[in-house]
This record gives sequence, structure tokens and C-alpha cells, in this order.
Amino acid sequence: MTVQEPIAAPSSKWSLAGLLLRGSTQFGLLVILVVMWVVLSSIAPGFLSRFNLNSLGRSVAIDIVIGFAQMVVLATGGMNLAVGAIGICSVMAFGYLLQVLGLPIPLAIAATLLMGAAMGWLNGIAIVKTGVNSFVVTLASASLFSGAMLILTRAVPYNALPPAIGEFGKAAVGPVPALLIVAVAIGIALYVLFKHTVLGRELLAVGASERAAQMSGVPVGRTITIAHVLSGMLAAAAAMMLTARLAAAMPSVAGDDWLLPSFLAPVIGGTALAGGAVSVIGTVLGALLVSTIRSGLLILQVGNFWLPLFLGAFLLAAILLERYRALLVQRHRTRNA
Amino acid sequence: MNELFSRVIRVQWSGLLAVCILAVLALTIVSPNFLSEYNAFVLLRSLCVSLLVAYSQMVMLGVGQMNLSIGALGGLVAVIVGGLMDAWGVPTLPAIAIALAAGGVAGLVNGWLTVRTGINGFIVTLATGSAFAGINLGITKAIPFYNLPADFVAFGNGRLGPIPNLLIVPLIVSVLLVVFFSRTVTGRHMLAVGGNSHAAELSGLSPNKAIIEAHALSGLLAAAAGILAVAQLGSAQPSIGADWLIISFAAPIIGGASLAGGSISIIGTLLAVVLIGLIQNAMVLLQVDPYWVTFLLGALILAAVWLNRYRAVRVGED
Repeated sequence: MTVQEPIAAPSSKWSLAGLLLRGSTQFGLLVILVVMWVVLSSIAPGFLSRFNLNSLGRSVAIDIVIGFAQMVVLATGGMNLAVGAIGICSVMAFGYLLQVLGLPIPLAIAATLLMGAAMGWLNGIAIVKTGVNSFVVTLASASLFSGAMLILTRAVPYNALPPAIGEFGKAAVGPVPALLIVAVAIGIALYVLFKHTVLGRELLAVGASERAAQMSGVPVGRTITIAHVLSGMLAAAAAMMLTARLAAAMPSVAGDDWLLPSFLAPVIGGTALAGGAVSVIGTVLGALLVSTIRSGLLILQVGNFWLPLFLGAFLLAAILLERYRALLVQRHRTRNA
Repeated sequence: MNELFSRVIRVQWSGLLAVCILAVLALTIVSPNFLSEYNAFVLLRSLCVSLLVAYSQMVMLGVGQMNLSIGALGGLVAVIVGGLMDAWGVPTLPAIAIALAAGGVAGLVNGWLTVRTGINGFIVTLATGSAFAGINLGITKAIPFYNLPADFVAFGNGRLGPIPNLLIVPLIVSVLLVVFFSRTVTGRHMLAVGGNSHAAELSGLSPNKAIIEAHALSGLLAAAAGILAVAQLGSAQPSIGADWLIISFAAPIIGGASLAGGSISIIGTLLAVVLIGLIQNAMVLLQVDPYWVTFLLGALILAAVWLNRYRAVRVGED
């Protein structure tokens, strides 16, 4: 017999409340999601219809990738307000490459990803070289990027994209939309990055404590730049997925509209704004929650106008609950000690 | 001469003033319409709302916080003042008072949530901003209020030569803010908390109180901006405030405020708003693509931040 583990608690502690207390943020989110789905599908049978689930899946896929784009920068303790601006630039670049230059689709995808990476690289370099707060730099660069895009394209949408783009946006493997598969694949790649690679650990180390990371030999400047390059690429990926979903490249679809969703998914999912902690699964669940609220309001015919109010309230409630839970866990531990 | 130069360069807003004067001179030479009475009126009127928006964020930067909900708050107040006057027939002055109070209360909510929950102010105001925008859209269904009292609209359009009536409000607010931050205990406490929250607390100040006060003041200023925007447009558009985010940060930062808190410049912010107004006016006069304004604003913020750092290093070495 070894020493008794503290986890082997009496059975009364395995109540739902206890599980919620000791489980992770992500588990709590999952419970909230399941409750919402049960309630919504019992009130409105249309919620679980194949049509609604399909449209939910396609929109959540894009929200997930937008959330990832913010998450990788949050990991280093910075933020990227230019996610939306890089998004619209990528939407228009993708449209231009396909429609005006007539590039083959794989080449256009690669070029757009490269452009997103380049814009992220500019952000990263500006932050590292000047030492200015990432908030100010990306606020300014968002203005620069979207201004340049508007000057160059005059905000005229590209409507005559190759039909394959729109077909991919509608495609599905069984009941699962192709866009969602892309988002999940990106999620798996990011999970591996943060869990199992040196770069991922370095990103988190810089976010936890820049000074400590530097002293342990982590190249802080390079790591922050890489985070922004990744963020730019993810924003470009989200932009192309959005283009596929709409089957057209329009400049009005991103920009400021991405600011809130980009923070909602990771922050609700338990990614710390101070840096050093990310949750890929949490971001996915956070995006699911946002899309569920949106879809639920539509199904219940509350009207889209109230949506921002619900999103804001949910964001606050989610963070408050998490704080409260952390407090309870701490008290529980102190009592047991 | 050298001494004069080094003294001038120490004044934080000296460079901005020089750039503004140069811009005015250049515009006078390039475009004969620039100094016409009507253009001067249009230019000055465009500054009024921006000034209050910039001050609203500047106050927050003073205590080392930020407020992302300024635009949504201004839009909500604009709809409240319009709705009170149009739908409920409330007379002008009480409607303005109620709307200002609503802005102050919304600011208090921001401050209270930030302080009590300990959540980062960025996330709190991002969330409340979304909530304010939701209330605004939910009430109005995005339909503006048009039937506003004649005296209110007349005030918004009125002018004395090239000087718009509306300009009175931001000018009075500017003077009040200068007095507030240089002469009152509350104002000094805010800057002390912004400069070093821990040191301020050890000196017996309450950082939480200062943060709540700053949020309330920021809410009041955003509300004033919303009401002014309604007077200027002649209708309460639910979209008011949607594009305030960039200008609210750009002007104080170009004006020399530090994002870390404790250091703000009211004259600098004012000059930055003038400069941005001059750029927008120049685009119209020279018939340049208006999209350039967005681009130039970004470039200006980066240049200002870089210059401030450069000057800080120079002055520090002297």
C-alpha cells in the first residue's frame, strides 16, 4: 500500500457541484454548453435540424480560427487588435489573386497565408524593436493595414471567384461541414504546438514572465515576433474560410466586427489575458458558446439586435464565474490542508 | 539660441504645435478655400465631438486604465437623448441632464466592475461596450430618432462667423479638465494612481476610488460627446460612436499620454485632435481618397509613439 492519494475522496464529493469545483474551466464550459443545447432544442425543435446545425458548424469554424489568431498572441502576454484588419486585407488579397490574377487555388491560398504572416511579422518587429506596448502598435497597424487595403481596392468586392471556393464552403463530410474540419485540424496543430514543441513552451514562458524567460535563454524578441506571424497566418486562414463561406470576397465582412469575437472565444475558454496560459480546447468551446448564443437567439426570434448585449453579458458572467470558482477551489484546499 | 531650443523641445506638445502651424500654412498656400469662413466652420465643427471623445479616453489613460466602451456608451447616450426628446417629448435641458447622468452611471458600472471583480479593465469595457451597443440596437432596431426640438438642432447648426456654437462645450470642458488635473485633489490623486498605483496606495490613496472616479468622468465625457454628435447631425443615429475607438486612443497618444498611466497632456490631446481634423479637411479640399485618412492615422500614431520615446531618451540624457 502506498500513501493514500488526496484525490480518493469520499463519495459525497463526487457530486456535480464537487465535480464542477474541481474540474477545469473547460469542463464547466462544456456543462453550460450541454445545458444550453438541451434547453434550446426542447424550446425550439428547429435548433437540432440538420440545416441549423450545418450553418452553426460553418459559422463556428470561422469563429474558432479567429479566436486562435488572438489566442497565440495572448499566450505571450500581448494582444493583437489588428486581427480584423489582417482579416479584411487577406479576404481582398485572396479575391484579387483568384479573380484578377487567376492564380490556381492552392497557390492563392499559399500567397494569402504568406501575406498574413508578413503583416504579423511587421507587427512583431515593430513591437520588439520599439519596445512599445502591443496594444498601441496593433491599433496603429490595424488602421494602416485597412487604410492601405481600402486605398488599393476601393472597397469593391470580388464576386466572380472560381466556383470551387463556394463549393468548398458548402461541402460536408457526412454531417460535418468541411470548414469545421479545417478549423479542427488547425486546432490539433496548435494543441501539439503548445503541448509538445519547444516553440510552444517558449511562447508560454515569455507570456508567464518575460524576464524569467530571457534569463533562461529564451530569445524573447524572436518568440514574440513568431507569435505575431502565427496570428497573422491564422487571421488569413479565417479570412479565406469566410470567403469560402460567402463565396465572395467583400471588404465589409471583417475589420471591427472581429475585435469582440477574437477575444470572446479565448477569454471565455480560460486563456489568461496576462499571458502564460492558453487552452486550445477552451477556445473551441468558447467559440461554440458564442455561436450557440447567436443561433439560439435567431431560433427564438429574439432578433439579432439584442445579440451584442447577450454576448457582453455572457463574457462578463463567464469570467466572474471562473473567478468565483477559483476562489472556492482555493478555500476548499485551505480547509483540507 | 541653443538653450531656447532645448527649452522648447522639453515642452511635450511643442512639436505638435509646430506641425499644426506648418499644416495650416501649407493648406493656406495650396488651397485658397482653406481660410474661407465656411471651411473654417466645417473644420472647427468636426473637432467638437472628437475632442470630447479624446478627453474621455485621456482620463482613463491618466489612471493607467483603458475604456473600450466609449463609442458604445456615446451611441447609447445619443439614442437616450434622442428618444427622450422624440418619443417622450421631454424638453431639451432635462433630456440632456438625464442623458449625461446615464453616461455617468454607465461609467460607474464600468469602474465598479473593474475594481470589484479584479478583471482586466480591457475585458470589462470590451464586454460592457458590447452590452451598451446591444441595448442601443435592441431599443432602436437601428432606426434613428428624427423629431428633435428646434432649439436643440438650431444650437447644433448655429455659428458666429466661422465659429460653431458647439465649440463652446469642448472649450469649457478643456479648461475644466486643465483645472481638474492641475489644481484639484481628486485629479492629482488620479494621476498619482496612474503613475504608480502601489506607491499611491502606500501614501494613503485609494487606487480603487481613483479608478471608479476616472470611469465615471470618462462616461460623462463620452455622454457629452454623444449628445453633441446628435446636435451636430440633427438626428439621433444609433450608429453614433461606432467609429470612435481609433480616434479616442490616437489623439491622447499622439498628444503625449503614456499608456502606462500617470502622464497626460490636455493641450497635447487638443493639438492632436486639431491635427487629425486638419488632415481630414485637407483630404476633402485636395480631393484625395478619404481612405487615406485611415492610413495616415495609423502612421501618425506609430510616428508619435516613436518620437515620444526618442525624445524621452534625449531629455533623459541631458
